[in-house]
Amino acid sequence: MSTTLAYYPGCSLHGTSGEFDASFRASARALDLALQEIPGWECCGNTAAHSINRLLATALPVNELAKVEQDMKLDAVAVPCAACYSRFKTGAHEVDEDAQTADDVRAVVGRAYGGGVTVQNLVDVYHDAVGLDELAAKVTRPFSGLKIACYYGCLLTRPPKVTLAEDPEYPTHMDAVVKAIGCAPVDWNYKTDCCGASLALTEQSIVDDLVARILTDAKACGADAVAVACPLCQVNLDGRQTEIVKKRRDWQPIPVIFLSQLVGRAVGVSDKELGLKKHLIDVMAVMA
Amino acid sequence: MTTCTPSVSLSHRITAGCDENACKCYQCKKCTSGCPVARYAGLHPAQIMRAVQLGQLDMIFDDKFIWLCTGCETCTTRCPQGIDIAAIMDELKIMARQQGRFPADTPSAAMLKLNYDSFVRWGRMWEVELIARDVLKRPSSAKAWFALGPKMLLKGKINPTLKKGDTVAMKRMVQTAESITKAREAGGAAPAGDADTGGES
Repeated sequence: MSTTLAYYPGCSLHGTSGEFDASFRASARALDLALQEIPGWECCGNTAAHSINRLLATALPVNELAKVEQDMKLDAVAVPCAACYSRFKTGAHEVDEDAQTADDVRAVVGRAYGGGVTVQNLVDVYHDAVGLDELAAKVTRPFSGLKIACYYGCLLTRPPKVTLAEDPEYPTHMDAVVKAIGCAPVDWNYKTDCCGASLALTEQSIVDDLVARILTDAKACGADAVAVACPLCQVNLDGRQTEIVKKRRDWQPIPVIFLSQLVGRAVGVSDKELGLKKHLIDVMAVMA
Repeated sequence: MTTCTPSVSLSHRITAGCDENACKCYQCKKCTSGCPVARYAGLHPAQIMRAVQLGQLDMIFDDKFIWLCTGCETCTTRCPQGIDIAAIMDELKIMARQQGRFPADTPSAAMLKLNYDSFVRWGRMWEVELIARDVLKRPSSAKAWFALGPKMLLKGKINPTLKKGDTVAMKRMVQTAESITKAREAGGAAPAGDADTGGES
């Protein structure tokens, strides 16, 4: 039986992270998940809106949730971009908590949102919508113990009053997903430390510092690759290594792979469809 | 630094904007310990919180910190007083922008506005446009883009085209949100009937 989820790709998955979009769609197909893209979706407001206009920042994701609930008549939406996911969860939380905010948001959106949509990030989709047993059962090409550092970054778990994450300081649900496809998750120290996010557009040397610190720990803890569930984390952790190596001649690169690419490969999606050659740090050696 | 007398008016303004109470901070500095960018600015998060309590807005606006804050929410998650510190940083950014107070060498402030304008214009944020406009405004940034951009383009990592969102709906939502926000700042309550007229469409 197939499950249907609304799908909100967000701007990055149409821009610098096409392989995230492609691998997520392909893995969903292989896992019998039907995805319906929200027609004419808008930007969620990302990092910019909440530091410029708070009301707009809350209204933009709630507008998408109202479309899912009332136009598409679905009760769950997959939001694989961690930043979009955070805005969706925050928007729903704020209209639920505060009547004044709910009124203002209704005025902006043009209708009320009834709160009937579950927002799922990439990890939630595999862990909950599919389920670990079901996922394991659909694996046709299991990894043979590839050592993975699961990087959650900031917004999959924080702030916990919004995400309701069980263990925001040391989450393990992505670890459970990679284990189900035959990888060996490692314990490490930087699971939820920030990669610098959009500072990559303006303060590259800070981002290089943060990325080097995160990846140095992943390598020291025995990881062969890092798994991510956020387009900005991926572009920072992967791309900045080509700059870090110029500053540190002894830098040993480590591949940074979307969780959807790992899952996709394990359930039989082709390498081309997963976009495995789009990474700046080669991933094929560990995917073989 | 000269001695300061606490002035609650700034923390009250912050509360009016984002419903967070900075007076509750007792300087345990857990926010600072976990902050990924504290070391790169003159002030760290606990100092910002103290400056808010003391009404020292100039001190905050003259430092880079609020513009380096990535919104990672570590401070908010760990604050033993339950203060949403990241929301206070956002409120300070909003206030700084209203007053045109940006310290030298903070390209992140302008980048946030380029980003906002981009999704307002197209319904969706167009990453390539942000970079192009940033280079035009700040030619020194070109070096950083040329280090990584061509490699990403060659790998097919960047899709330079844009699929627009529903720009009409976006424009309507932006205008309504901005007018309600302005009305609230001016007099507290939003203009009567706003919620009703919005409900019709």
